[in-house]
Amino acid sequence: MTDVLDHILTGNRHYRNQTLTHDPTFFDTLSKGQSPSVLWIGCADSRIPETTICASQPGELFVHRNIANCVHAGDINAASVVEYAVTHLKVKKVVVCGHTSCGGAVASLGDAELGEVLDSWLHPVRELRRKHKSELDALPDDNARAVRVAELNVRQSIEVLRRHPAVRRAASDRGLTVHGLIYDLGLGELRVLEESGKGKGNGLWSPN
Amino acid sequence: MAEKAQVKKYLQESHDKIFENNRKWADAQSAKDPQFFEELSKGQSPNYLWIGCADSRIPAEAITGLGPGEMFIHRNIANLVCNVDLNAMSVVEYAVSHLKVKHIIVCGHYGCGGVKAAMTPQDLGILNPWLRNIRDVYRLHEKELDTLEGEAKYDRLVELNVLEQCRNVMKTAAVQKCFAENEFPVVHGWVFGFKDGLLKDLKFDHAATLKDIQKIYNLTS
Repeated sequence: MTDVLDHILTGNRHYRNQTLTHDPTFFDTLSKGQSPSVLWIGCADSRIPETTICASQPGELFVHRNIANCVHAGDINAASVVEYAVTHLKVKKVVVCGHTSCGGAVASLGDAELGEVLDSWLHPVRELRRKHKSELDALPDDNARAVRVAELNVRQSIEVLRRHPAVRRAASDRGLTVHGLIYDLGLGELRVLEESGKGKGNGLWSPN
Repeated sequence: MAEKAQVKKYLQESHDKIFENNRKWADAQSAKDPQFFEELSKGQSPNYLWIGCADSRIPAEAITGLGPGEMFIHRNIANLVCNVDLNAMSVVEYAVSHLKVKHIIVCGHYGCGGVKAAMTPQDLGILNPWLRNIRDVYRLHEKELDTLEGEAKYDRLVELNVLEQCRNVMKTAAVQKCFAENEFPVVHGWVFGFKDGLLKDLKFDHAATLKDIQKIYNLTS
């Protein structure tokens, strides 16, 4: 069991040496502070390391990851992240990223018990499934249904974010925008959720 | 108006950059291993659950050299694990009971903005209840912390906060039950330092702590 742990500590030493070879002042600069331009709200799923899939650098993305990338009204964990990122760090964009083959979305297609904690957390996603029953029933299979539920869930999270006081203020004061994305695990590709933008084709939500 | 158009152009460009980078990365992965994404889409069985700070400077997978599929991730302000927080609790539950992770790592970092904000005598609105948990960590270790000053005091509070969150992880029924049955997951407390880019192991004693907290927090039966 220790070698599994050594694996990441060795990885960390490798990362540090590589980074310093490339730029000897890298960590010095980082230690002075952060000014990320994006708040990334994604799934806890191990297959979507945001910095890797966006080929980003440390310091670029402020990150909140939870089960099924949910932003529930009344969740103080996500609300604190949003408040800190938007009001204090002044990020320019908030991105909510769902994905295909999402365990949370698949579980939300049915009502099988996952334990009280997870069932409570996924309740709003299962409500979305109930609300969009006829649309989902018309889809060919559960894979397609899970993708659609993931999309609806991203859209729902964006609706909650739009009503967050910090987001509303920043949207009107300095043009903060909110975007919905879906990551296709089978292709490794990010796709913009068209309907989260107003026909602009880039998933952009703007206040007007 | 010209300025507004420029801002719009900048926003579009910074948005497009992520997609360009993503396409380059996906192409490079497929070139290396044509089955890479197909394999990933079949499922995940990560060994680790990482509970870290939302801070943009600590991308968990990058600093540990792990690839997609290896680590399940929760990141929030100041890497807190609060018992009434359904968000973090559902992550722990899923990682332990469903994915059967072997290690849970709580990782803080020196210079944490959340920890500093919590020690500021200021009304921070919705952040107050969240950051209150850090003030409580201070109260639990007041004697030790009061002997320190300046950065040394913040650094130690960052470490003590990680250790308290490790204890909080162990107070969950999911972790206690799984451990009683399987001898895993093992909980670890680490701190990332910007000065050297290295992870510091705080040597959290899983076995001794479990025994200690189960006097009061035992949920195994």
